[in-house]
Amino acid sequence: MLVTFYLNNVRVSYDVRPDEYLAETLRSHGVKSVKVGCNETSCGSCTVLLENRPAMSCGILSASIEGKHITTVEGIQEEAARIAYFFGEEGADQCGFCNAGYALTIYALKRELKNPTDDEIKDYIVGNLCRCSGMQSQLNAIKAYLKEE
Amino acid sequence: MIVNKYYRASSLEDAYSKLQENPRNTILGGGLWLKKIGQSHETLIDISSLGLNEIKDSKNEVVVGSMVSQRDFENSPVVKALFNDAIAFSTREVMGVNFRNLATIGGSIMGRYPFSDVITGLLPYDVELEFYPKQTMFLEDYLSYKGKLNAILVAIHIKKGQGKGFYKKVKTTALDFPIVNIAVSRVNGQYRIAVGARPAVASLALKAMEYINSLKNPSKEDFAKAAEMAVEELSFLDNKDASKEYRIDLAKVYVRRGLEEVNK
Repeated sequence: MLVTFYLNNVRVSYDVRPDEYLAETLRSHGVKSVKVGCNETSCGSCTVLLENRPAMSCGILSASIEGKHITTVEGIQEEAARIAYFFGEEGADQCGFCNAGYALTIYALKRELKNPTDDEIKDYIVGNLCRCSGMQSQLNAIKAYLKEE
Repeated sequence: MIVNKYYRASSLEDAYSKLQENPRNTILGGGLWLKKIGQSHETLIDISSLGLNEIKDSKNEVVVGSMVSQRDFENSPVVKALFNDAIAFSTREVMGVNFRNLATIGGSIMGRYPFSDVITGLLPYDVELEFYPKQTMFLEDYLSYKGKLNAILVAIHIKKGQGKGFYKKVKTTALDFPIVNIAVSRVNGQYRIAVGARPAVASLALKAMEYINSLKNPSKEDFAKAAEMAVEELSFLDNKDASKEYRIDLAKVYVRRGLEEVNK
C-alpha cells in the first residue's frame, strides 16, 4: 500500500507492507541515521520526531503516518551539530550508535520543557539508552546545551 | 507479526462494520504491543482520525478519548488535578517519553495487560468505559469479562470526587515492567485498593476494602491489617522477575503505606 508523508519537510510516497514499521521503511530508503537496536520499543536508538514529538520508529506502523511529519537527525542538522559538540566536550560520545536518537529526543526536550530540573531531564531521556556509558556524561552534555541556549 | 491489510476507518460505524467482517480483524490502538504479541491479523483498523484523541472536562467527570496518548494524558492539567496527580503519575511510570507519545490510553485498557500501570492506576477510582455500539461498563467489570468484547472503546469516564490517591510501581530498572504495582484511593471517604502485576492484571482487594471502610477512624494497625487481608485475598505467582513471596511482601508494605498516605 502507498503511504504519503513528510520526511524532513519533503513530501514522499513509499510503498509499504501493512505490517511494516517505520524504522524499516526509512532505512530501506537510505535514512541510515535511524538505528535499530532492540527493535522492540525499548532502547530508543530508532527515535524520530513524529509531529515534532519523540517516538520510537520501530513501534510506528508505516501505514499509520499518512499525511504526518517525520523528522530524522538529517532534518535538524544545525541543532544536531551543537548537541554533538556538547556530547564531545563531556565525553558522552562513544560508539555513537545511540546519538541520532538522543539528538532528536534532546531537540524535542528543549522545545517542550522550560528550565527543566535534572529529574525532568532524566525522565525525558530515560527511553534512550546508551550502553557505552553511565548516562551521567549525557546529562552533563544536555545541561550544557540547554544552558547555552 | 503478519498483517494482511491496513484499513483507515472513516467513522465508528465504518470501523465497527469492518471489525465484524472477520474475527481476525483488530482495532489498532498505539500498536506497540502488536509486534511483541506476534499474532497475525487479517486487517488492522486505524481509528486515529475519528476524533477520539481529546480530553474533556466537566463538572462531574473527566472524559478521555480512547486514542489519547499516554503522554498527553499524563501532561493534561485536567488529569493532573485528579486525586493529587495520582492517576497521571501512574502513566508517567510507563517506559520513556518516546514510547508514551505512541501508546494510547484505550490500547492499554483494551489489552488488559498484566503488567499495565495504566489499568492499576485507574482501577481504584470510579471509571466507566464507553463503547461503540452504545454500551458502558465499569473498568473492573471489563477486567473480569471473559473473552473478547466485540466493541470499540470510545472513551474513558473518570468520575470526580473529593479525595487522594497513591500509586507505587516496584521495578528493577527505570524501563522495566513492574514486579508489582499498587494503587490506593480514598474518594468521598471510601477506600479502594488495587494490586496489579502479581503478575496477573490488576484486581481490587474487595475484602480488605470492606474491612477498612467499615471502620470509623481506622488506626495504623487497622491499615496494616487491611494490607494483610489484601495480600491474602489476591493471588500472587512466581515469574522470571520475582517470586510469589517477594511480591506478597512488597504488596503488603505498599498497600499499608498507600492507605496511610490517602488518609492524611
